[in-house]
Amino acid sequence: MKITLTVNGEEFPLDVEPRRILADVLREDCGLTGTHLGCEHGVCGACTVLVDGEAVRACLMLAVQCDGGSVRTVEGLTGSDGEPSALQRAFSTEHALQCGFCTPGFLMVAAGALEADSTLADHPERVDHIVGSNICRCTGYEPIRRAIMRAAQEQQQATT
Amino acid sequence: MYQWTRREDERLLTGKGRYVADIEVPDRLDAVFVRSKVGHGALRAVDCRAAREVLGVVGAWSAADLMDMPPCAHSAATLQDLPPVPHTVLAKLSSDEAVVGREWPALVKERVRYAGEAVAVVLGEDRYRAEDGAAEVTFQVDPLPAMVTPSAAAADSTLLFEGLSNIALRGEAGKPIEDKVWQDAAAVVEARYRQNLLMPTPMECRTILAVPEGDRLTVWSGHQMPHRLRRELAALLGWSQEQVRVVVPDTGGAFGSKSASFPEFVMVAFLAVKLRRPVRWIEDRLESMLVATRGRGQDQHARLAADADGRLLAYELHIDADVGAYPHLGVGLPMQTAWMATGAYCTPQVHATVRSILTNTMLTYPYRGAGRPEAVIALERSMDTMARRLGIDPAELRRRNFIPPESFPYTTPTGRTYDSGEYARALDLALETVEYDMWRAEQARRRTDPTAKPLGIGLSCYVERSGGEPGGLHEFGSIEVGTDGTITARCGAASSGQSHETVFPPLVAKTLGVDEQRVRLIEGDTDEQPQGLGSFASRTAQVTGAMLQHASQLVIEEAKQRAANLWDLPLEQVEWSDGTVHAAQDGSAAMDISELVKATGPLRVEDRFETGMEFPFGTHVAVAEVDPELGTVQLLKVVTVDDCGVVLNPDIVHAQAFGSALQGIGQALYEAIPYGDNGVPILANGLLDYLLPTYTELPPIEAKDTCTPSPSSPLGAKGAGESGCIGLPAAVVNAVVDALQPADCDLLQMPLTPDVVWRAARAPKLEEAR
Amino acid sequence: MKPAAFDYVVPRTVPEAVDALGNGGRKAQVLAGGQSLLLEMHLERIRPDLVVDINRIPELDDMQITDNALRVGALIRHHVFESEQAVPGPLGSLFSLAVVNIAHPPIRSRGTMVGSFGWGHPASEWCAIAMALDADIRLQGPEGARTVAARDYFHGPLKTARRPGELITSVRYPLLAERTGVGFIEHRRTHFCFAQVAVAAVLIVHDGVISEARIGLVNCADRPLRAHAAEQALTGVGIGPPTDGYRLPEDHPFTRAGRIAAEQDAAPLAEPYADLEYRRHAIAVVAARTLCQAANDHRSRVGRTKGDSQ
Repeated sequence: MKITLTVNGEEFPLDVEPRRILADVLREDCGLTGTHLGCEHGVCGACTVLVDGEAVRACLMLAVQCDGGSVRTVEGLTGSDGEPSALQRAFSTEHALQCGFCTPGFLMVAAGALEADSTLADHPERVDHIVGSNICRCTGYEPIRRAIMRAAQEQQQATT
Repeated sequence: MYQWTRREDERLLTGKGRYVADIEVPDRLDAVFVRSKVGHGALRAVDCRAAREVLGVVGAWSAADLMDMPPCAHSAATLQDLPPVPHTVLAKLSSDEAVVGREWPALVKERVRYAGEAVAVVLGEDRYRAEDGAAEVTFQVDPLPAMVTPSAAAADSTLLFEGLSNIALRGEAGKPIEDKVWQDAAAVVEARYRQNLLMPTPMECRTILAVPEGDRLTVWSGHQMPHRLRRELAALLGWSQEQVRVVVPDTGGAFGSKSASFPEFVMVAFLAVKLRRPVRWIEDRLESMLVATRGRGQDQHARLAADADGRLLAYELHIDADVGAYPHLGVGLPMQTAWMATGAYCTPQVHATVRSILTNTMLTYPYRGAGRPEAVIALERSMDTMARRLGIDPAELRRRNFIPPESFPYTTPTGRTYDSGEYARALDLALETVEYDMWRAEQARRRTDPTAKPLGIGLSCYVERSGGEPGGLHEFGSIEVGTDGTITARCGAASSGQSHETVFPPLVAKTLGVDEQRVRLIEGDTDEQPQGLGSFASRTAQVTGAMLQHASQLVIEEAKQRAANLWDLPLEQVEWSDGTVHAAQDGSAAMDISELVKATGPLRVEDRFETGMEFPFGTHVAVAEVDPELGTVQLLKVVTVDDCGVVLNPDIVHAQAFGSALQGIGQALYEAIPYGDNGVPILANGLLDYLLPTYTELPPIEAKDTCTPSPSSPLGAKGAGESGCIGLPAAVVNAVVDALQPADCDLLQMPLTPDVVWRAARAPKLEEAR
Repeated sequence: MKPAAFDYVVPRTVPEAVDALGNGGRKAQVLAGGQSLLLEMHLERIRPDLVVDINRIPELDDMQITDNALRVGALIRHHVFESEQAVPGPLGSLFSLAVVNIAHPPIRSRGTMVGSFGWGHPASEWCAIAMALDADIRLQGPEGARTVAARDYFHGPLKTARRPGELITSVRYPLLAERTGVGFIEHRRTHFCFAQVAVAAVLIVHDGVISEARIGLVNCADRPLRAHAAEQALTGVGIGPPTDGYRLPEDHPFTRAGRIAAEQDAAPLAEPYADLEYRRHAIAVVAARTLCQAANDHRSRVGRTKGDSQ
């Protein structure tokens, strides 16, 4: 089936089988291997990407469902100048990753929330929900929470 | 350029990390395995014909089909039958004797011995097509009685291997304790402990990609021991080791579970060579939940004796270990528990016995902690029971029995020689940090308030072992100085998230006195580093770190020698400082090492370095609130104090301690593998059914450390990274016991699920039983 | 595992969708949020021949209030109900209490409320609430539209009254009167697993006396349940003063109602880590606590309206 995805601003005309999940199409057809598959049960969240701005499990969506839509992946987080985003910097500063396998999913669920909610820093409970969306087996989560909070605070300071 | 905190961070945070599944190779095939849905039975009538007709399927084979595979022009043409899975006797984790007659086939030939064991393999152009093919493979398994606990299998009423007992190995540590000791003791406590079977569950499952090139095979795998994998694959192909290159790219966690060769690895290497085509297996989570190696899995019986003052007299531990269906990997692992049974105390008599029992579960293998958590949980739970029996505060009971600092090196009754320790210091810091007296007061208050939920405080004082076992306490590596000023360190280790690239270059730089940006680390590639052991047993900082420091010192010696020759000076007149050689008398002759290399030719030193076995330790405390009506446990506070000697990078070690603490909580409260009577794990909803701790379950954890340097390594560093799995489960369980005070502590077996806790809450209390 | 191959159609209208579903007797599945469907396909428990993606049917992406009832269209995602204000009155509060127990934000932003009725899982929060509130389910099939009351809809484990060719277009709930007290408590082992037990409670109270109680039970049988016997035991009973602590007195009416729900209404099944004895006990405890929460909610609503009038 012929579809078009706009991934990180770039248009990808694709011919995919309907059964192919979005994560596989991003990884194999678009060559964007930053999106990882950790369980394919929608549980771990390593494959989380933004579809039309909303964080979704790329293992629980068919690529054909996204025809005409826009997708953002971890590869799209870095600015056009090549500089890392506040979120990426915060993850590094706070040791919010060890093996790095779950990291793209956490980055994207956080990126979606940061973009949708400029007051995130004032609502620690919303940050809790974001960290509580995915599984990390290395860090014990607290560094991830601190990183998202740091990025939210930085974003808030930049806009006020 | 932005300065990242870890060198690994830039690629991992921008989607440029490269894990095995990310590697694109032309013409690569995906392997999918057809797996038994029965735990134990006789295999009949595997038929792959229909699978071969499926679009995009390149081949499908049962074990029998592989016998008929035509030879190829390749150098592996002599390879007739599919070789079995290699076993290892490394670190006594298995023994030749245990393995004889109990071959682990890469594909089942006659008998299925665990649910998920592979009966056929299908290669497809991609995973979708290979699975289409796998769905067409038909076979039958005539069920046999499935045994999923050591007690069920130990009776030998059904044998896993005809003519051989299900008890694959017996062992002991220490000497038997006379009955009189127990009879004369003021107090004896006795208990049974179940060490729940766990799934290590790294977020990346197992991976292997085998690419034949000429007469060589390049193997990419997320792995902890690339050189072992090379050795085992070469042996099974009948090749020389030089013909196999193993590369470990970014690896998404391992926790002990990625250091062996597995049936699927044998198949992938075999088929890649036979077909002369790249083949990969990217394990998916569903497979992993069935057939990735398990951790723990012991049924223990413990007995502890003390005098009226609380001085320990004797400790006895018997272990019936569930080692799974084949004795190839972890049959000797329970010996680690036996050797570590003594713990932190100067108990004069300790005796531990082991029976490694084959069952119809997937194989048990090291998982973060690997034998030590089992020892700590049995002893530390017994210590709390003893404290209650004697009416002594559990902290005080431990303090009275610690091996004193002046006694090191201390040889335990179970045969370990501890290098160094200040156990009371770690206990003191933990009690102070958690505010022990405040919680005890709160506990007392709640006991008089019927509206308050009961609260308990649990302690665990652990000693672990790092580095490995004798014969495996060394590592290989090299340091090379380039004419451009760069310094390249190589080693046999492999990182699966432990930040080696961040930790080791500064260590080399510091030893050489150069800017750390000049130094880079290459590891996880057997062509770059011809010999190596790998990363396991918390050994990499301790052993590889010491090796790299040693190699750096060899570079200095070599540079001084070259400068002496160049300048025609006696060696003692050449000095080294800050990456330069200079004449002691005349500073004007200073020369940077890169200039020296330009003048004198390539400089690369290689060596092997060995450390002693080391024994990190610490105290963990958990404060738990229990809802006795529902049986839920909420941890209000967790404190971990670890002592791993000299710390190379405090942030990295702290992050490891924190993460391992949550894994330890996972064992105590959430994680387990329930089995049906048919020997099949009850995990129908995939990862929804194996409960990893999530952020919601994370309690406030404070991780601190003390520093008692090890005399066994020049760095003074002991292993780090497993402490939370080793120390914390016992503290959590002890806290729940302390809250509920059941007369029968055996009721509280891990994981402390709500039903288990609720039953213990309803059971007679200690004071009622008295 | 990967989904097996299927055909895929994207109808633009409800009749087109119904046509596609009824086409040739093939095994067809409706794809709305897909958060259960895709999982089931990964687990290969469902292998459809045809997937009918209804996400591009605008008329289904609709939520309306008419005749004192809320009609939720088939494309309304779970996360809509996170805001208490999404639905007026106590019903909005009840939904917002319940919805946070459904997985986590990335699942809630795709998954739909109506999809839960297509699936009919015994652990579905929405389905138990529908049982408690006498919601009804609107189905469109080749023979036209029909409405099935929730009490007639759930037939067993993952079995519902929906016929293969039918599409659920909406679910309709009666709105709750202003001072109705609501509660929802879920008991589960970690944040990422299904409920061991959850209970939805609705109390209509006049002058401190319960005139009507509605209780929905989650994962207390092979299907979503309403606890009729417990409800009857509460009618005409005073809610009494607020209680201290986590443990209600044995003779408290909510404790009694919880026990009745567990013993007479529920028909729990054993699961790993929850045998029948524990499950019945947990149902009783959670039901009693949820009734307490609903009573407290009623008190605070009364307090608020009094405050407003002053």
